[in-house]
Amino acid sequence: MLEIKDLSKRYGDVVALDGASFTARPGRIVGFLGPNGAGKTTTMRCIFGLATPDRGETLWHGQPIDRVTRLRFGYMPEQRGLYPRMRVGEQLSYFAQHHGMPAKEANAATSRWLARLGLADRERDKLEALSHGNQQRVQLGAALVHDPELLVLDEPFSGLDPIGIATMTEILRERAAAGVGVVFSSHQLDLVEDVCEDVVIIARGRIAANGPIDELRAASGRRHLEVEVEGAGASWLDGRGGATIVEQKGDFVRLLVPVDADLSGLLAAASAAGPVRRFAFQPPALSELFMEAVQS
Amino acid sequence: MSRARAIYLVARREILERGRSRAFLISLVLTVVFLVAGIFLPKLLGGEDQAHKLGVVGTPPAGFEQALTATAGQAQLKVNVESVPDVATGEARLNEGTLDGMLVVPAEPGGSAEFVVKKRDNSAFAQVVGSAWSAASASQVLTDAGIDPATVAAASRPPTLRELEPSDANRDTAFLFANVGVIILFIAIFTFGTWVLTGVVEEKQSRVVEVVLSTVQARDLLVGKVLGIGLLGLVQLVIIIVFGLTIGTVSGRFSLPPTTGAAVAMLLLWFGIGYTFYSTALGVLGALASRMEEASNASSPVSILASLSYVFALLVAIQNPDGVAARIATFLPPVSPMIVPLRAALGAIEPWEVALAVVINLATIWLLLEFGGRVYSGAVLQTGGRMKLRDAWRAARR
Repeated sequence: MLEIKDLSKRYGDVVALDGASFTARPGRIVGFLGPNGAGKTTTMRCIFGLATPDRGETLWHGQPIDRVTRLRFGYMPEQRGLYPRMRVGEQLSYFAQHHGMPAKEANAATSRWLARLGLADRERDKLEALSHGNQQRVQLGAALVHDPELLVLDEPFSGLDPIGIATMTEILRERAAAGVGVVFSSHQLDLVEDVCEDVVIIARGRIAANGPIDELRAASGRRHLEVEVEGAGASWLDGRGGATIVEQKGDFVRLLVPVDADLSGLLAAASAAGPVRRFAFQPPALSELFMEAVQS
Repeated sequence: MSRARAIYLVARREILERGRSRAFLISLVLTVVFLVAGIFLPKLLGGEDQAHKLGVVGTPPAGFEQALTATAGQAQLKVNVESVPDVATGEARLNEGTLDGMLVVPAEPGGSAEFVVKKRDNSAFAQVVGSAWSAASASQVLTDAGIDPATVAAASRPPTLRELEPSDANRDTAFLFANVGVIILFIAIFTFGTWVLTGVVEEKQSRVVEVVLSTVQARDLLVGKVLGIGLLGLVQLVIIIVFGLTIGTVSGRFSLPPTTGAAVAMLLLWFGIGYTFYSTALGVLGALASRMEEASNASSPVSILASLSYVFALLVAIQNPDGVAARIATFLPPVSPMIVPLRAALGAIEPWEVALAVVINLATIWLLLEFGGRVYSGAVLQTGGRMKLRDAWRAARR
């Protein structure tokens, strides 16, 4: 289990982290969300010893993370980068060996992962000869090649085409199923909702929300109500039940209501106005949870 | 995984990636070309003391060649004598340049000899031939007149030469070695030091450094890089030295003095020390730059220091290798890598001075790694413009 405890870090006058704490369990995919400058990259850099926190600590299975522990982690930084003139295969093998794999094993793992990433025929090419998308795949390979226990990926989906996104999703799910801890940051919330079980939302250096997505949605004080009453528009609503209109298209309205809204009363009012074609009561989407958490 | 293995992996990557790069092969070829030019150019330009070729028409007096060798030796000339059938042939060969002078022996003893040159531009050669002829023909006349040949020979012997400061036969070679040695050393230190500089900036610019540093400590990355590139430099230096000494010897340009082994060992040792000092300093300063365009700016303090040291070695120390300035410079780390092998090649350094200089330099390198390693780790992850030394130092504060 990855534990982030009370991390604080300042860069001059800028507060990057202000007592951030959360945990990430192995076998689960954790989405690490937050606006730009909220402290995501700094947190990841602290895990890898690339930034030293002013206060707080990072633990793996209860032990402080040190240089040797980190060898079992895989990292994909936000600023992508590999050796442009080094051959793809030698490059992955090089990184695998830096993670402690013997040369022979590293070469075998390299071939295996290049095949998995669809780059088996590019092993002897220099990295710079590959397309941007393929270079991204090699970058992912560099984080995976040594079979890490924990994967930390900063914006892994940015710049990927739909096929790349599908491949990335598949690999992350497969790794998590194999018991690996997966933490990744992203601004594509629909994708996070699709891929992740847990989310951690960070804002201004503090953790604003944290837990399984389903629980967070259920715990929200707000609900969505989608109603469609033929020929009535939104006229039936008439300021009822603390509902606010989020969206209206013809007879379709989407409302934001409190979790304890009087559903029977609302339904009765709608039925009185005309035939009800749709009446759906749902927890909010992740993007709304995010806005809520970040703005509070 | 141990830190030593991480350093080994970094060094190995540098050797494999750069050893087969075109830049390495080109720099090797270029250095060899410079070396060959340095050894042969003085000879080709004609500033060298080659043997003078003297053609002789007719039969000179018995003691002529002996007298010629003696006088030529005093004038530090070398003269080869061959006989020429007649004056016309000799003149033709003078014109085509295969003879430098022709001596026409008179048919009758006591007759007037003639010395023919194409142009009168080498008075020392003419004097040597002239005095040898006078001595030999006078001896001939005296001997013919019945005077004991031994007495004649003794009387016509030139005075023996006595030097108050005996010249060393190896001194010219030592001077050449010192000169070429410093040039090679400077080129090698600077070439491979620059490789470390650009390597550091490239890693930073391509952002790969963040991936590498997630497993390797910053100082180990710098040490591995310095080590790997340094080994390549050492290999290149050995190739160049072996090549240079071989062609120099085979072509007869110089003969190896007995001190050659020590001089070469000295050169390699001080390449190791000088390269480590300069490349570490360049690597640390390179980490302050974000892009290649800023690298030369960031590294200019060290580049200037290296160039000044080089100029000092070639202009001051080589003229006066045991003067006060050279002695002081021996113990100043930026300069000593060029001064010590130079003074050693000229035989103007005491063993204790070498030992002390080595100790001072190693201590300085250790300090540089301590100080520079911290600056490097503070700077190498920062992007966006050139960083100040002090900010990098603070950024790394634990």
